[in-house]
Amino acid sequence: MYRYDEFDAAFVRQRTEQFADQVRRRISGELNEDQFRPLRLMNGLYLQLHAYMLRVAVPYGTLSSKQLRRLAEIARKYDRGYGHFTTRQNIQFNWPRLNDVPKILAELADVEMHAIQTSGNCIRNVTTDQFAGAAADEIIDPRPIAEIIRQWSSLHPEFTFLPRKFKIAITGAPQDRAAVKFHDIGLMAKTGPNGEIGWTVYVGGGLGRTPMVAKQIRDFVDHEHLLAYLEAILRVYNRYGRRDNKYKARIKILVHEAGIDTIRDQVEEEFAAMKDGILKLPQEELDRITAYFAAPAFKEVEQKTIDLPKLKITDPAFARFIERNTHPHFRDGYVSVTVSMKPIGGTPGDATDIQMEAIADLAEKYSFDELRVSHEQNLVLPHVALDDLRAVYEGLVDIDLAEGNTGLITDIISCPGLDYCALATARSIPIAKSISQKFSAPERQEQIGDLKIKISGCINACGHHHVGHIGILGLDRKGVENYQITVGGDASEDAAVGSILGAGIAGDDVPDAIEKLVDLYIEKRESADETFIAAFRRLGEAPFKEALYGTR
Amino acid sequence: MDIITANELLSGATVYLTVDGKWLEEVSKAQTFGPEDKAARDAAVEAANASGRYLSVEIEKAEIIDGRVVPTRLREKIRAEGPTSPRHTPQTLDTPHAKGEDSNVSL
Amino acid sequence: MALASSNLAEAKAPRASDLEIVALNGMFDERDTLGVIRYALEELLPGEPLAVVSSFGADSAVLLHHIAQVDPHKEVLFLETGKHFAETLEYVETIKQRFGLTNIRFLEPDAADLKRFDPHGTLWDTDPDSCCHIRKTEPLKGALDQYAGWITGRRRHQTQERGVLPHFELTSDVRIKVNPLAYWTYEDVKAYKAEHDLPEHPLVQHGYRSIGCAPCTSATREGEDPRAGRWRGLNKAECGIHFDFNGQIASPAAKLENRTLFKSGRFIADPFHVWGEGDAPETSAYVHVPLAIWQENRDAFIAADHPIGLLIEPGDDFEAIAEDFDRFASIAVAFPKFTDGRGYSYARLLRERYGFTGELRATGDILTDQVPFLRRCGFDALTVTNEATKKALENDALAEVSVYLQPVGSRGEAPVGTRPFLRRADQ
Repeated sequence: MYRYDEFDAAFVRQRTEQFADQVRRRISGELNEDQFRPLRLMNGLYLQLHAYMLRVAVPYGTLSSKQLRRLAEIARKYDRGYGHFTTRQNIQFNWPRLNDVPKILAELADVEMHAIQTSGNCIRNVTTDQFAGAAADEIIDPRPIAEIIRQWSSLHPEFTFLPRKFKIAITGAPQDRAAVKFHDIGLMAKTGPNGEIGWTVYVGGGLGRTPMVAKQIRDFVDHEHLLAYLEAILRVYNRYGRRDNKYKARIKILVHEAGIDTIRDQVEEEFAAMKDGILKLPQEELDRITAYFAAPAFKEVEQKTIDLPKLKITDPAFARFIERNTHPHFRDGYVSVTVSMKPIGGTPGDATDIQMEAIADLAEKYSFDELRVSHEQNLVLPHVALDDLRAVYEGLVDIDLAEGNTGLITDIISCPGLDYCALATARSIPIAKSISQKFSAPERQEQIGDLKIKISGCINACGHHHVGHIGILGLDRKGVENYQITVGGDASEDAAVGSILGAGIAGDDVPDAIEKLVDLYIEKRESADETFIAAFRRLGEAPFKEALYGTR
Repeated sequence: MDIITANELLSGATVYLTVDGKWLEEVSKAQTFGPEDKAARDAAVEAANASGRYLSVEIEKAEIIDGRVVPTRLREKIRAEGPTSPRHTPQTLDTPHAKGEDSNVSL
Repeated sequence: MALASSNLAEAKAPRASDLEIVALNGMFDERDTLGVIRYALEELLPGEPLAVVSSFGADSAVLLHHIAQVDPHKEVLFLETGKHFAETLEYVETIKQRFGLTNIRFLEPDAADLKRFDPHGTLWDTDPDSCCHIRKTEPLKGALDQYAGWITGRRRHQTQERGVLPHFELTSDVRIKVNPLAYWTYEDVKAYKAEHDLPEHPLVQHGYRSIGCAPCTSATREGEDPRAGRWRGLNKAECGIHFDFNGQIASPAAKLENRTLFKSGRFIADPFHVWGEGDAPETSAYVHVPLAIWQENRDAFIAADHPIGLLIEPGDDFEAIAEDFDRFASIAVAFPKFTDGRGYSYARLLRERYGFTGELRATGDILTDQVPFLRRCGFDALTVTNEATKKALENDALAEVSVYLQPVGSRGEAPVGTRPFLRRADQ
């Protein structure tokens, strides 16, 4: 993975010192809160319901064991012994104290991490496929380009006061695991006319109160011109994005109102003017960055396959783990292992210090020191030899994170909701837990198959409810929590926004409501191979509506 | 009736303005303001904002239930008692002066 | 260039207390000019002379005529800034001859200062305060070090700032300034000149009533404050030589705090103002003209050919007048709210795409953390009203990360060592 050189180190160190000074000035009273707020936000420090919250960037979701250990240490030393992995591949600490934050940032800087641009109206942490650099279906490893975009966007002088936040996602595989069409800019690897690899560019996707699927703005741009093209988009957005209304300020609204063709023309004009300028990416630089992401020195493995049918009889839990939590690797005899941070009845995405340290040990021992954070709030050991799979599994059993539920109904995405978040209108975590408990039986989960439930505690949609196969949105109805159910959303390459089934329901009724939807699906599906989302596409929303609300 | 709540600068902890003019974590000790105390209430909010030591200073609705002050809104109940799932106790103030013993001392 | 006060910190021991000065001010009749001068030159500080300084401007003749009556051999200091009107130098000769003054000493700027700070002789344009400093304040300070004080021709009626001027002042470094003409009105001056047939400065007939260096003096209109023609439009009223060097007595020191234009590392007087009531395309100069007004009156502005600037507000289609950019001495880009970052794009376009090389200034709600971004995008001047930002700029305490990860085109952001591609350090 990418390693800081002295230049990056100086950059992050200076930024950390700068923030330490700002905190000092705030505590001494030299800065008031109005002056300090934008400064702390630029360093990922929010004030939530109970305390400050620090959001630390995990660049395109990649971590080393050392970094994860440091996160564990910070959780123990400065927080309450846990951290929360987010849908943006970041980690949040819920209880830091203001005067500890400079120390936390300094300790993060020691392991090449920071909180820069994890908040504010700037280009946020670039996200990507959690299996990047490992997946069998990958056209190209997106991480070198993600790293180059990270560098280009870090404290970019022109784009630090955009109309609104700006999120870029990138995937190197045809199967989109990074939800690129729900980002301000989505990049999808593509093989060009002459066999060269470049990027299809999507723009104007997003969730929040106005969910939109991104539109294709350019079919193909090569590596060399990618940054210039991104800068052209950002400049058009910075100049013409709406600033009169916070809720209409994202680029999706600009694209929607002006039309993709107009935006494309503006971007192309801008691109033409700077295309061959200083942002042209030299091949040597791409090569230099790519070298950091070279595949690890895989060993010759004994085991090339696993006899799953046999294992299902002898060790069904392990078999489930293999079936659900491993992903095909480009290297024979290897898989990527998802560490499900969704134990039954647990808080989605939460990890204790002990769990983080144990996972870091497993990564060091069995995954070439590499780890990933997925936007589904799980961790990934990207390069695990089949030979080592049992050792990894047993290590995870020890820390209660061996649930073989990836992609199943209990693998729920959830925002922190009203238990923590100052913006939330209803709680999310208790809903996630109650659904998880209701469907805890492995057989039941297996029967249901692939089903993504996503829960947000407010309209801002941090829990991606719009793109859940089943989405749950918590609202406040006259002082009472109320949950709206949507069906049919999809964050993959077949992107779709879910439809609201009807009036909201009480929190206690949510698990039963989900069960009604699931039962309908099982009843109506053509076979066990037809997934929930496939069945929904075939059936339409009417039967689901009826299952939930009866005939009216 | 109303109570006044805020987050303390250093810890971020949820605090309430108490009868004796301190800012403490316990909502049960919060001073209540009836309709006739509007001027005093607003003056207290203004003073809290001016102090620079308290953030997100808000007036919240509360009721007396079994002799105890209880915030009306769910959000405020959660702020007062901590996250519900899993349960965490609220953030505590951490320094003697932040404990409300001398809320005007600067570091 | 030493700081103005450094030599003076070692000034000679006090010679008179505040009280004594107050008492002196009661000694003379308001119009007893000769009495004041005589006392100042002969009795006030026996054995320690006071200097006479004259600008040889429009009203200088009155004081010099009085000096000549008391002592024609008295040394008269004249600041030869190198920027005077030829008419002024001519006038020095005239006065010398007519009044029989025998000892006029020309004080010239330090050659090293000129070479270092004003190699092209254009400092008056970019930073008039500094120009005054090296051409007037510094040379005068050197000369005055030998004196216990000096006699000036200042009058309390000259400008509002001088309204309370007494005959005798004590400066904060305990030297004495004597103002024999303190109570003279403009009419008194006029009458005296007529009565004694004093020679007139040749420029007075051209409408000049207060004359300094050529570049910073213009004619005054009827009814205008006579000194309004000095540093016209430059928000500058005193040239620095009437400052008490420690800024204690003379009021213009307070103006320093009101300076909002930050350029080349410090706050300087701002020659520009914002377009407003009373501005007209035909006559206005040193004004930032809003885009729409420029577009409506383009021909009139071009015909008038005054130094002028452009004001760009967020959302303005400024590129519509791209062909006019090089007509502007300064382009101001407004930041009505610090969160509105459109101006960053405008700046880069102006610099990188349109090759604008004049002053590019950011104006509005500017916080310290924006300043490094503004600079990198091509701004070379800031109009700052936010107090915290001003303080940070004055103390050079900007929160800045000096290494950066993306090249922008205007600051010559050069690669460091073998550092590839995107990385640059601020040099």
